[in-house]
Amino acid sequence: MAALNPAEKRRTFERLGSVREIVFGIQDGVLTTAGVLAGLSGAVSGRSQVILAALASTAAGALSMGAGAYLGTRAETQVMRNQLELVRRESASQPYVVQEELLAALAREGLSREAGYRIVKLLSRAPAALFSTAEQKLYGLSDAAFGNATVDGLLMGVAFLIGALVPLLPFVLISSVREGLTAGIATTAIVLFAVGYVFEGLLAGERAPIFAGFRFLAIALGAAAIGYFVGLLIAPIGAASVG
Amino acid sequence: MLKPGDSAPLFDLPCAFDGKLSHLNLDGIRSELVVLFFYPRDFSFICPTEVIGFHKAQPAFKAEHTSIVGVSVDDAESHRRWAHELGGVSYPLLADAGGRLAQAYGVFDEKESVALRATFVLDRARTVAYCVASPINVGRSVSETLRVVRAIRTGQLCPADWEPGGDFGPADHKF
Repeated sequence: MAALNPAEKRRTFERLGSVREIVFGIQDGVLTTAGVLAGLSGAVSGRSQVILAALASTAAGALSMGAGAYLGTRAETQVMRNQLELVRRESASQPYVVQEELLAALAREGLSREAGYRIVKLLSRAPAALFSTAEQKLYGLSDAAFGNATVDGLLMGVAFLIGALVPLLPFVLISSVREGLTAGIATTAIVLFAVGYVFEGLLAGERAPIFAGFRFLAIALGAAAIGYFVGLLIAPIGAASVG
Repeated sequence: MLKPGDSAPLFDLPCAFDGKLSHLNLDGIRSELVVLFFYPRDFSFICPTEVIGFHKAQPAFKAEHTSIVGVSVDDAESHRRWAHELGGVSYPLLADAGGRLAQAYGVFDEKESVALRATFVLDRARTVAYCVASPINVGRSVSETLRVVRAIRTGQLCPADWEPGGDFGPADHKF
């Protein structure tokens, strides 16, 4: 059995913290672009118009999602840091309360009151250790839990871009709209299944990752199909306004 | 919660005292006054400041012919270990398992299943002469308890913030 390396494990957990941005970005990029392609293919007759619209949608989506992730993580981090600072000030002014709450938390996890008391008493010899333990155990707060806004923004934007290319490339490379759309939807399906299989199945430790893949795929294709039918529905409106 | 003038409910409970397990009943306490203080739990971080505070002030209470008795819902063995942890406690700690005594004095926190931080001073007739309860996260004042004990023992009308050596009011004035 390999020795546990806490530093390496910590880095792994920090990297895994980016899974949300990657999955969200790819899924949204694939879905949005597939939806645009499917919808416009039903509504617009010109292939180049569809490609241009999809490219514009991809660029806008990647920028918007990247900026959104950056701003979201930045705001979350600032709010959480402010809360952490408040907790630290309260802890410093009321150490007895922190000690009692930590003691109660340890008791809830099965330690005897006496054993918990001794642990908290030992921790109290170094207030920094007491407060950081209390922050993590009582409030789930710690410096390590904060995301990196720049990394999150970049990951989200790039993931969206990669996701968008999945249905777009076959559509661009194949001259027939119908065949390009079919190929785009096929690659979309494969990639979405793969994302679900890997992230929700394998990495999440599911016993049957194949189901995670199909679940992911079902949601994605459901959205694309709805987009396509919405395009069919609004096609007469477009035709009327042109006429 | 009981109030001044109420008869103090009797007790005969296991206790820890002087490093040993024993029993204590109210009738067996011969001192003029009794300070009965309830605290939530052994092995906590606010209670020891009170338990140690009463321990340090015990000679002053003894000089006022007053016994001190601590009470919590922990068992007597826990009290013994807790007293040992604190370096020894010079008065008995009563084991009020289930909190029946705390209920009898009206100071049982049903939600937490512990006693409130309540202090009772019982007079010679073992009626309540003084009582006070603090919030669960605020320790009580040992020096205030001692001041009240001294005031009660004068048998006089003591004005606000009276301290030993201070002026008395007429003893027959009720208000």
